[in-house]
Amino acid sequence: MVNNVDKHEVVAITKAAIGQSIARKEDATILTGRSQYIADIRLPGMLHAAFLRAPFAHARILNIDLSAAKDLPGVELIWTGADAARYTAGITASLQVDNYCATTQPAMASDEVRYVGETIAVVVATSRRVAEDALELIDIDYDELPTVNSIAQAVTAENLANNEVANNVIYRDVRSADDVDPTFASAEKVVSGVFYNNRVSASPIETRGCVARHEWTNGLLTLWSATQMPGYLRTILAMCLQIPEHTIEVITPQVGGGFGQKAHVHPEELIVCLLARELGMPVSWIEDRQENLLAGTHAKHQINDMALAFSADGKMLAMKNHASTDAGAYNCLPWTASVEGKVGTSAMTGVYKIPLAHLESVELATSKCPIGAYRGVGWTAGQIARESLIDQAARELNLSPFAIRRTNVIQTSDFPYASASKIVIREGSFLETIDRLESMVDYPSFKARQTEARAQGRYLGLGISVFNEITGFGTRAFSQIGTPITSHDTATVRVDPTGTVTVTTSFVAAGQGHSTTFAQVAADALGVPVDKVVVRAGSTANTYGLGTFASRAAVIGTGSIARAAEMVRVKIRQIAGHMLEVSPLDIVLENDRVHVSGVPDRGMSMAEVAGAIYFAESTHPENFDPTLEATATYDPGDAILANGGHAAIVEVDADTGIVKIEKFFAVEDCGQMINPMIVEGQIRGGIAQAIGSSLLEELIHDENSQLMTTTFMDYLLPSACDVPEIEIAHLCTPSALVPGGIKGMGESGMISAPAAVIGAVNDALACREIFLTEYPLSPQRIFAALNSVNE
Amino acid sequence: MKKTAVDELLLVNTTVNGRAYSFAIEPRISLADTLRYELGLTGTKVGCEHGVCGACTVLVDGEPMRSCLMLGVQAEGRTIQTVEGLASGLKLHPLQESFKRHHALQCGFCSAGMLATALALLRDNPTPTRTEVREIISGNLCRCTGYETIVDAICDTQVAEFMRGEQRG
Repeated sequence: MVNNVDKHEVVAITKAAIGQSIARKEDATILTGRSQYIADIRLPGMLHAAFLRAPFAHARILNIDLSAAKDLPGVELIWTGADAARYTAGITASLQVDNYCATTQPAMASDEVRYVGETIAVVVATSRRVAEDALELIDIDYDELPTVNSIAQAVTAENLANNEVANNVIYRDVRSADDVDPTFASAEKVVSGVFYNNRVSASPIETRGCVARHEWTNGLLTLWSATQMPGYLRTILAMCLQIPEHTIEVITPQVGGGFGQKAHVHPEELIVCLLARELGMPVSWIEDRQENLLAGTHAKHQINDMALAFSADGKMLAMKNHASTDAGAYNCLPWTASVEGKVGTSAMTGVYKIPLAHLESVELATSKCPIGAYRGVGWTAGQIARESLIDQAARELNLSPFAIRRTNVIQTSDFPYASASKIVIREGSFLETIDRLESMVDYPSFKARQTEARAQGRYLGLGISVFNEITGFGTRAFSQIGTPITSHDTATVRVDPTGTVTVTTSFVAAGQGHSTTFAQVAADALGVPVDKVVVRAGSTANTYGLGTFASRAAVIGTGSIARAAEMVRVKIRQIAGHMLEVSPLDIVLENDRVHVSGVPDRGMSMAEVAGAIYFAESTHPENFDPTLEATATYDPGDAILANGGHAAIVEVDADTGIVKIEKFFAVEDCGQMINPMIVEGQIRGGIAQAIGSSLLEELIHDENSQLMTTTFMDYLLPSACDVPEIEIAHLCTPSALVPGGIKGMGESGMISAPAAVIGAVNDALACREIFLTEYPLSPQRIFAALNSVNE
Repeated sequence: MKKTAVDELLLVNTTVNGRAYSFAIEPRISLADTLRYELGLTGTKVGCEHGVCGACTVLVDGEPMRSCLMLGVQAEGRTIQTVEGLASGLKLHPLQESFKRHHALQCGFCSAGMLATALALLRDNPTPTRTEVREIISGNLCRCTGYETIVDAICDTQVAEFMRGEQRG
């Protein structure tokens, strides 16, 4: 029996559909071009907005002349920051910890711009092209101010990126303060490096966009937005725009990729809502690629200054790390700048038994687009630094990269293990991961090939990376990483009068396949076939929840659906028991039937039971409540940890500096998989992004913080020729904390695979005494490194 | 050559998915926007509007073209196939079925362009190697799948059989 109070409850669930690679329910609609994405929405009378964006990274706005733009036929309205400020103070973002420096980003800048791409004015016109024509006619006088272009410049505090942020310091944190210096002083081997991770863009192939409609007659505001967090967005709209929350509906249509970039509240969303209300007409805003690269939140820009102390036999003794985040001019909402360095620091010791750690982080304001969430946010840069140094130590101690990791990983007998970075690790299969990776790679034969290649003047390298990942972020997981956020989501499960099942969830999808995976969960929870379940998501008219991010949906979706389904099962068993004259406890639900346990013939179809509950009162026991739907929330009782590892084999072309990835291996342990096909899709997709971020992608700013990479000709996404075939192995260590033992997954590729790619390149070039710590490992960087050392 | 004002409407006669269309549009409107907003065929997606991502790829006289780099007026006299023209009636094209079977899509934003590129390839060569497929689709960016399952879907034997039948047919 479900306890309505226990949001952590782990309901028992049978597994019939769970675990099957069922083809996705949503695919036919997408593949025929019939899915509706944000730019496909056309409402009667709809107008089109285009934003004027700052051409300078830091400047005072002296004067704005709108006269020529206003005269352009087709222009309906032009607003500047001052107009928007009449209705909203903008987006204030902070973290509920002491001494956090909150920032308020105006919905549009009015006095001062603080990054290239910040919005200054918006034109609403009869078409997007007319609106864009009008932008060209707006004349603005600026007084340029000095910019803060880098972490190094931010630290000097000679200039401020944002006058709200004293000394450019948004937050400074000491996660672990062990006295590591004596250990470093006496250690037999110390390796260290300063690792410069690149600034990247999540770059979903669909850019951001939203459409707002305000109906003045009843006060209802509808916002269609390509957002991962419709429920949260609705609450923030209510707060920031002073519009009663119950009059707002946020709808997420089909989304063309999110990857975290669409898990923010963007200033443009506030503006588009206000414009629709002002004009009494629907307003659409679809950004172009340049805007997305300029202003769609940036990611991953950290410097990690790390050192590791080892014993002579390769045992890790202590870690020191200082993580600095190049955070941009404002905190993003809801994550803040601390979603990079501070969050990353919590996982810095990873899957290893490192007795002592000194871990600090600082988020620094710079004259750039705010840093935000992107798959694996926070963890990526630190993982690269740590795994690179482990490899370096292995080389210097003459150990294999597998052996040194095996020596140090947390083992089952160590659980629960309180890591030096203050995460309690209760589950995982780290040793098994390393063993599996080693056999997949066939290490002895790789070593032979590497030696042979070297003799021919070719550079082969192997990189490995082992990770664990907090998934299914609930309240306790957020608390463990030092970002106190209350986090749970809600599902409603209904058995319809004809015995089919309708599930509503707050988890929207951007390609993750929830229509299928949640249907698999609900089908098993109620003993019906998957094709008798429909999953409704995408509107705040459904149940409330924070949204889809941080590998939450599988865990919290399953937990909430299983808890709600259990409440419905109780009713079904109650009435079936009454009709069959047995105890409700003897009733089972399976194969679309409700019958006496062990006697499948003594029972009836789900449709018959549901029909009786809805339409045949004579079948009801006394005082029977015929509600056949239930709503339940789930918040995991603790951090749910998935784990795994990656290995890459690369060849570096010494003449061109080009890296060819020959083979890629992934081991993933996400407990019980709901749909292995979808799990593997997430693994491959994450690894492709990892190859992009470690070899190709880089948002480059000039000395005035002007972004130089604003097209896909300059910002290089990996193509089908850059991503190899990926061999995947699954381990399955079910979590005791989630119904069905399901763990979250999806981010591992971007957490851990970059470290494997970089490790492989460094392994290939180690024979030339090259150890690269600035990323991405572009051909230029590798070529320059090869030319700076002797043959 | 006659100079045309930016807002002057030009008449275009074209065939899209087997249906004849006649409409008047501004000469500056891309073929992608023409298909999406003049003809309501929003299955063609726009990802970068500068010819790199390939999401907007359609078949123009059988050849894969970036519809963001062509103008709508250049559709004059051409025969165009978009993703909406792929299924017959209520039956998915075997290539669409294969994409579904192999999980060759996640968010689906690149799928229309990917299908167009793949279809043009398979009409020339029903049994391409995996390397050939990777080279041909390297102009279509996918941010979700890692490409491998897309290659699987295009190299599927049922697809090859169907395409060979079409060649003979």
